[in-house]
Amino acid sequence: MGPRTTKDPLKQWRKDAEALSYEEALQAADLLLNQLQNDSIPLTELQQTYQRGQIYLDRCERLLEEVEQTVLQLDPKTMTTAPLDAGGTR
Amino acid sequence: MTADAPPTYSVQELNGAIGSLLERGFAPRFLVQATASRPQVKKGHLWLTLTDGEASITAVAWASKLKQLNYVPADGEGVTVVGKLNFWAARASLAVQVLDMRPSLSTVLRRFEAVRSLLESEGVIDPNRRRPLPQSPQRVAVLTSVPSSALADILRTARERWPLTELVVMAIPVQGDVADRIKAALQQLRNASAGLQPDALVLARGGGSREDLMVFDDEELCRSLASFPLPVVTGIGHEDDLTVADLVADHRAATPTAAMVALLPSRDTAQLQISERRRQLTNHRSWWTERQRQRLAERQQSWQELSLPSVLIQRRSQLEQRKQLLQALSPQRWLARGFAILESPSGAVIRSVNAVEAEQELVVRLSDGSIRVKAQSTECDPQSVPDVAPSDSLTP
Repeated sequence: MGPRTTKDPLKQWRKDAEALSYEEALQAADLLLNQLQNDSIPLTELQQTYQRGQIYLDRCERLLEEVEQTVLQLDPKTMTTAPLDAGGTR
Repeated sequence: MTADAPPTYSVQELNGAIGSLLERGFAPRFLVQATASRPQVKKGHLWLTLTDGEASITAVAWASKLKQLNYVPADGEGVTVVGKLNFWAARASLAVQVLDMRPSLSTVLRRFEAVRSLLESEGVIDPNRRRPLPQSPQRVAVLTSVPSSALADILRTARERWPLTELVVMAIPVQGDVADRIKAALQQLRNASAGLQPDALVLARGGGSREDLMVFDDEELCRSLASFPLPVVTGIGHEDDLTVADLVADHRAATPTAAMVALLPSRDTAQLQISERRRQLTNHRSWWTERQRQRLAERQQSWQELSLPSVLIQRRSQLEQRKQLLQALSPQRWLARGFAILESPSGAVIRSVNAVEAEQELVVRLSDGSIRVKAQSTECDPQSVPDVAPSDSLTP
């Protein structure tokens, strides 16, 4: 990972969030929420924390709305997978 | 020949006539519910006796048909046979030619009970052995027939519910005596597990009659399922169909759709949870801001009380009151109204005519200055009551 762009941290956070799975992003948001509720975030970082939290939640939402499910078929002869062809439905 | 004379046949003619009669006059296809007795394969053909306790008849499934049969009865099992009559004219022998044979429901249920009690007694069927299902499976293996409505239901439900989970489908036959093939598929899946790393297995088959599901009562198949390294979810048949496979599974779902619902988290619920968290973030922000504002206000108020104590305010107002009183009592007011003060040249105030002699020099003090005068004469007012002695005058 390269040096963080201090000029636009939002961009960097969004980029970081893109690499996370749904569960990871949700967990990251929960961690921040927990810290907020424990009063362990200093005043100067509050705004950032809110923004980061929202970014993680954006990632979760986008995954749920946009992801196309991957469906593969396992060929027993070759033991390899390939996308299930459209004939999978009657 | 007379009308009552019976016909005369040679044996061949007799048998031929019987054969034609049967061919013309008997149902070309029929069903028989019976118990199969002593099935034996001779020269590739399956011979057995069909009986109902009252009567019996021979039945045969020719080799070509035997290959196609989904089910071969054990001795004493109830069966339903679709058949036609075979009549051998040479020896006037009769048999039911089996076109299709299926176990009767009671046969199926009896097998189910037998396998179930066996596996229960061995502890293979044990509710305590059921593993919990993965919370958020990344990849799920699906064993079902391809294509099929079961598969279609599974794909649709999975896509709606949690599109993030990857599905790996492996086709299996689900009709007929295919337990061995399903077992083989399970074994292949085991071998592939290391590479694929699925989190769970779904074994699914769409609805049919209970007899159609008999393959899922197969003992060896069920043992294989019970020892499968991943949690197994079954979705077999309809709501009311229970097979041994359902009993050894870690979770039994009523249908293929229900299997996916059990295994996958709900996208709708997750959306609500995300909204809830957003709300918590926003709420926290407003709550925190409000709390800080309150604290600040409290501090400001404390400071105000310290720098301007009420005592000072009180003192100031008291001072103000005295000032006003003083002003009210001051002679300046009287002078301003036109009254004058009479004084001796030494500044003593004169209040009585008796203190003044003729030719005495006096000072008349007005609001804006004084006048030096000389008394001409004095006159005493007979009505007034002197409240001071003549000699009682203020001297400095």
